[in-house]
Amino acid sequence: MSEVIPKLFRINTGSCNGCDVEFMPTVLVEKFGVSTLGVEMVEDIKDANLIAITGPLTARSESFLKSAVSKIRHPYVVVGVGTCAITCGIFRDSYAINGPTDKIVDVNVNVAGCPPRPQSIAEGIAKGVKVLNQVMNGEATPKTIDAIFKDFSAPESFRGRMDLNPDMCTACRTCETVCPSTAIKITEIAAGHVHNIWHNSCCYCGNCAYFCPTGAIFSTNSFDTVKLQSEKYEDVNSEIIKSSTCSSCGDTYMPPSRGLLGKGYVHDDVKKLDTKICSKCRKEANFKRMYA
Amino acid sequence: MSEKVEIGPFHTELEESVYFKLEVDKNRIVENVEIINGFIHRGMESLVTKKNFMQNLILTERVCSLCSNNHPMTYAMAVEQIAGIKIPLRAEALRVIADEVKRIASDMFNLSMLTHIAHTHQLMKDTMNTREHMQDLKEVIWGNRMDMSSNLLTGTKYDLDERKIKIILDTLDVVEPKIRDLQERYENDEQLKSKTVGVGVLPLKDALEIGVTGPVARGSGINNDVRVKAPYGLYAYRPEIQPNVSLSLREEGDVHARAMARFGDILEAVRIIRDVVTDMPEGDTYVDKRPHIPAGEAVVRTEAPRGELIYYLKTDGSQKPVRMRWKVPTFTNWEALKVMILGDKVDNVTMILNSIDPCISCTDR
Ligand code: SF4
Ligand code: SF4
Ligand code: SF4
Repeated sequence: MSEVIPKLFRINTGSCNGCDVEFMPTVLVEKFGVSTLGVEMVEDIKDANLIAITGPLTARSESFLKSAVSKIRHPYVVVGVGTCAITCGIFRDSYAINGPTDKIVDVNVNVAGCPPRPQSIAEGIAKGVKVLNQVMNGEATPKTIDAIFKDFSAPESFRGRMDLNPDMCTACRTCETVCPSTAIKITEIAAGHVHNIWHNSCCYCGNCAYFCPTGAIFSTNSFDTVKLQSEKYEDVNSEIIKSSTCSSCGDTYMPPSRGLLGKGYVHDDVKKLDTKICSKCRKEANFKRMYA
Repeated sequence: MSEKVEIGPFHTELEESVYFKLEVDKNRIVENVEIINGFIHRGMESLVTKKNFMQNLILTERVCSLCSNNHPMTYAMAVEQIAGIKIPLRAEALRVIADEVKRIASDMFNLSMLTHIAHTHQLMKDTMNTREHMQDLKEVIWGNRMDMSSNLLTGTKYDLDERKIKIILDTLDVVEPKIRDLQERYENDEQLKSKTVGVGVLPLKDALEIGVTGPVARGSGINNDVRVKAPYGLYAYRPEIQPNVSLSLREEGDVHARAMARFGDILEAVRIIRDVVTDMPEGDTYVDKRPHIPAGEAVVRTEAPRGELIYYLKTDGSQKPVRMRWKVPTFTNWEALKVMILGDKVDNVTMILNSIDPCISCTDR
């Protein structure tokens, strides 16, 4: 088995700068560990075997990307850096965007983040190197690859992967409304609502958590966002927000969540409140109590 | 006989994609220059009208992630002007802190790229490592190294407590002596000077005619800093925090002068942050999380790390803007490139481009 020298070249297909600006310290600052991978930065794409691509692939870039890619000698490995490279991220709905990049190039590793931390970009490059070695030696790539830089950590405050506490969520759709990259989708089903967060579309802005009235959606400090292409469509956080049956009329209704009740009844123990009644029946009961 | 040279659009020394078609003479001097852009055009003007006002707080950050506090801040200021909302003084202070932190990190990125291109390796490393302190600070206080998500319509999302103020002050204490040391080395380093002094000169007369802004203007001896000439936010309430632009002004107008002008900006930003965090106004950080935005029009300008940024916003009382337009600093500074590049060596082209600290993603948008 021969060791391969990874030769890295970066292509910007219309990034907002974030990913490219973070790429530079990733390769130039020692603490991110890229130098330990034996990676060489090359000036000419013809010499490269490891390509990092950023940006959502603008219409203008498309033909240039095609011609650049046609110059690379096989075999090579592509690492998509940033949410834009994976799904076009926040720019997805624009007329000027022809991406994502995997329409044109075979991508091997994806690094979600907007922008990803250098630690994640480094991890993406490291996994790219691993895949490159496998490709060069004719081995099959396994479905997942364990973390390579294991000792990286993030501060508590880091806005990482979003998470949802379904107990607190009341399916009000505020998060869906304020999410700039349409990463949240709430769908009604018989049993209630499905709340989906697509990590590969998310731009990690925290808008949803900030505007959520119940504190159900929150950001964790996890930067575990480096995945193989085969995992691209599986990286979803999916929860069911269950509906209830009204004990009075028998209709299905969306009960106020623990989080919402806690907002309304700040001095009471919300667990004691009887929530098994829909808002229509509650209104009627209250009306009768007051005026009948 | 002139030779044709092409640079880009994908090139290791170009942080963003742009395409140069040059004609050079036998001494490798540039005789003709054509600059082709549009590679970063993402249809932002159309996109912002498809998103609601809350979504646009984040989308405007992605006009450019290097000045990603200025964009949403200026956007929020335009909305507030239309809605006739005066934001709390504490929010004004928080906005200035976030803005000046971004200015330091942005200017230092440009300086590291300069020394990277000039192959002054040790200087590049030390600049990058110093900048890392600011990046870490952003991650600890705001949660991301580039996009801080700090702005809210009618205020800010974040607040500072004693602990966080201490983190900021401690970071500045570490960073400031390093920046002063770097400033002296950039001023005197023979290798760097030999590559940057007299290179890419923009004479005062051309600078005035083209109307350059930011450090490019200051490098050619012009003071048109918006924070001083048309103060806004906390710079208007507390004129004493305004930057002392004379510390950034240079006469030479070359690549070296523009770099040194940035050092002036950085050190003043350090001073401004210190002044503001040690004297924080009390009060709320916003007026209304989701304000009603009536129909109206507004024009607002601020000083981004690269110079004057103008936002035009038109609303019709609905949830989405009818029109949003920008005049970004690089738009005017870009024109100056032709003056700088013509008659200079072709090998200097990427360095001259870097010296205007181009934000192509702002300009192509
Ligand atoms: S992923 Fe985010 S930071 Fe990276 S280019 Fe796209 S918008 Fe910018
Ligand atoms: S409660 Fe929070 S998480 Fe649930 S739908 Fe509303 S905003 Fe979203
Ligand atoms: S952090 Fe929340 S609001 Fe922001 S993009 Fe991700 S899911 Fe959407």
